[in-house]
Amino acid sequence: MPITAFAVFLISSAIILLVFGVVARSTNARRDVNYARANRLRLLFFVSLGAILVIFLALTLPDLPYPVEASAPERIVLATGKQYAWSLTEGTSPTLDNWDTAFSPTINVPTGAVVEFRVTTLDVNHGFSLYGPDGHLKAQTQAMPGYVNRLRVVFDQPGTYTVLCLEFCGMAHHRMRGVVEVR
Amino acid sequence: MATVASTITDPGADVHRTRLIRVTLVWVLTALVLFPVLAILGLLMRAQQSGYLQSTPPEVFYAIMTLHGLGMVGLWFVAGMAVISVLLANYVKPTTAVSWIAYGATLAGVVLLLAATLVGRLGVGWYFLYPLPFHSGGTWPPWATASLFAALAIMGVGWTVWSADLLFAIARRYRLSHALGWHYLSGATTPDVPPIIIISTVSFIGVLAGLVAAVVILVLVAIEQFGSGFTNDALLIKNLTFYFGHMVVNITMYLGVAMVYEVLPGYTGRPWKTNTLVVFAWNLVLFLVMFAYLHHLYMDFAQPRWLQVTGQLSSYLISVPAAVVTIFSTLVLIYGSTMRWRLPSVMLFLGVMGWAIGGVAAVIDSTVAVNTRFHNTLWVPAHFHTYFVMGVMLMILGTVFHLVTDLSKVPERSALTKTIVGTVGLGGYGFLLMFYLAGVASVPRRYAVYPAEVAVGTTYAKVSLIFIAVLLLGALVYIWETGRRCVKAFSS
Repeated sequence: MPITAFAVFLISSAIILLVFGVVARSTNARRDVNYARANRLRLLFFVSLGAILVIFLALTLPDLPYPVEASAPERIVLATGKQYAWSLTEGTSPTLDNWDTAFSPTINVPTGAVVEFRVTTLDVNHGFSLYGPDGHLKAQTQAMPGYVNRLRVVFDQPGTYTVLCLEFCGMAHHRMRGVVEVR
Repeated sequence: MATVASTITDPGADVHRTRLIRVTLVWVLTALVLFPVLAILGLLMRAQQSGYLQSTPPEVFYAIMTLHGLGMVGLWFVAGMAVISVLLANYVKPTTAVSWIAYGATLAGVVLLLAATLVGRLGVGWYFLYPLPFHSGGTWPPWATASLFAALAIMGVGWTVWSADLLFAIARRYRLSHALGWHYLSGATTPDVPPIIIISTVSFIGVLAGLVAAVVILVLVAIEQFGSGFTNDALLIKNLTFYFGHMVVNITMYLGVAMVYEVLPGYTGRPWKTNTLVVFAWNLVLFLVMFAYLHHLYMDFAQPRWLQVTGQLSSYLISVPAAVVTIFSTLVLIYGSTMRWRLPSVMLFLGVMGWAIGGVAAVIDSTVAVNTRFHNTLWVPAHFHTYFVMGVMLMILGTVFHLVTDLSKVPERSALTKTIVGTVGLGGYGFLLMFYLAGVASVPRRYAVYPAEVAVGTTYAKVSLIFIAVLLLGALVYIWETGRRCVKAFSS
C-alpha cells in the first residue's frame, strides 16, 4: 500500500511538473489564448479528475479499518496505554492503582487468528501501532481517554511485532513500546 | 498590477494607506527575523534525529518541536493576514490600529510561548492535544501550561478582532452576498468584485469559525481545571482541536492563493476577473473546509463511521475547485503571455505548483485505507511542509518582495533571483523527499530518537540536513534582499 501510494504521488507530481514546465516555456513566444478551447480542456480536466477520484473512492471505501459487529474475533487483547508503556493483557486490564503488578508489555497470539485489540489509555492520547518484523507499519488506532477503540488484525506471518506509540504523548514518547509474539 | 496604489478616491486614503503600509512593514520585518530562527529549530530537530545531538535530552527536542510547530503555523498566518490587508487596502479601508493591536497581541503571545517552551520545556506539539498539557510527567511546570493557554487566548483575541475588522472593512463597501460573489451566480456582473475580496471574505469567515472552536476548547478546559468536577470528552476536544487547527492552516493557504489572484495578473499582462466559476469554487470551499478536518480523526475508531466517510468525501471534493478553477486558471493566465519572470512572479508560480504537489500528497493521505499506513508517520509532515514551504510560503514571500520592491524602488538583481530560486527549490524539495521516503518506510513523526525498528529514519534525517542547509542559504539571501528593501521603504 505505501509503495502504491508513493507511486501515485510520484506520477502525479511528474505530470504537474511537466504541465508547469510546458506553461512556463510557452511564455518564450507570445500567443493568444483560445478561451473556448481552454474551457473545453478545463471540462476534460474536471471530468478526468472527477473520474479518478470516484474510482479511488470506489476502490478504497470498502477497505475501511473499522470492525464490523456481525463477526466475532477469535482472540481479544486489552491494550492499555500509560505514559510511557503499553500493557497487553487478556481478561482484565491494569488500572492506575495496580499498574506495576498487573501490567504486561508482551502477549502471545496465534498466526492466522482474528485478533481484536481493545485499545484505551489511562492518561493522555496515545497511538497504538503494530510494526511487523520487517519494520513496516501493519495497523494502528488511537488510544483515547474514556474510549475503547477496537482494532482487528489477522497476523499472516509469525514473528515478533512491536507496538510503538504513534500519538505524541510526552518526554519518552519514542520509548513507549510493547511486543506481540505471533506463533 | 496590484501595487500599493489604491483605487479608493477618499482624500484621506493616502494617509491611511501609508500608515497601513508602515504597520505591514513592521509585520514583515518581524516575520523575516522569526522565520530563520524557527527554521533553524527545524534543522536542530533533524540533527537530533540524525544522532548528532545525542547529549540533548528528549524533552528539549519536544519543547523545540512545539515552538517550531506553533511558531511556523502562527507566523505564516499573521504574515498572510498582514500582507492581504495591504492588498485589500486597494479596495477597502482596514483599520490600522487594529493591525497594531493584533501585532501587540501576537508579540505578547510569542513571549509567553518562548517562556513556556524554552524556559518551562513545555512539549505538547503544535496542536497541544488535550489532556497532554495537564500530564507533563514532571517535565514542565504548571505555569508553562498556563502560559501556553494564556498565549493562545491573547493571540486568539487579537486575531479575532483583526479578522473581524477586515471583514467589516469589506462589508462597508460590499454587501455580504456581493462580497461572496453570489450575484455572479444569478448572471449579474455588477458590482464588479475582484477575486481577492471573495477569497478574503471566505477566509475571514473561516478564521472566525475556527477561532470559535478555539474559544470553546479554552472554556471547556478552564471549566475542568478550575475544579468543577466536570471531565471533558476527549473525542469532542479532539474534533474541536483539529477543526481549529485545520482551519487556520487552510485559511493561511487561501490567503496566499488570494495574493496569487491579485498580484500575478500584473506580471502576465492579463486580467484575472471574477466569474461564475470562481464564485462557485470559493463558496464550495467555504462549505467543504468545515468538514475536511475530519480526516485527522480516521484513526479514532470511536468516531461514527459516517463522519469518517464524510471526511474522505469532503477531502477529495475540496481538491476539485482548487485544481479545476484556481490552478488551471493560473496556468491559462500564464500560457503564452508576455510574462515578466521576476522573483515575485516566479515565487507565485512555484507556490501554486507546490500547492498542487502538496495537495496530491494530502489527498492520498486523506484516503482512510491509506491513512492506516501513513497516519502520524513522516508522510504527514512531508505533505504539509510541501504545501506550506513550497506553497503558501513562496506565495507570501513572493508578494512581500513584490510590495517592498515597489515601495523601495530598489531594482531586482537577476543573479540573486536565480540563487534564491535555485537554492530554495533544490533544498526545499530535497528535504521534503527525505520526509516522503521516511513516511513510506513507516518512520514515525515526532520521535526525538528512532528505535531499532525504524532506525532507517536516522539516515533520511542525515541526508535532509544537507538539503535544509541549502534551503536556509536561499532563505537568508531572500531575507537580506527583502529586509534591506523593507528598511528603505520604512524610512522613506
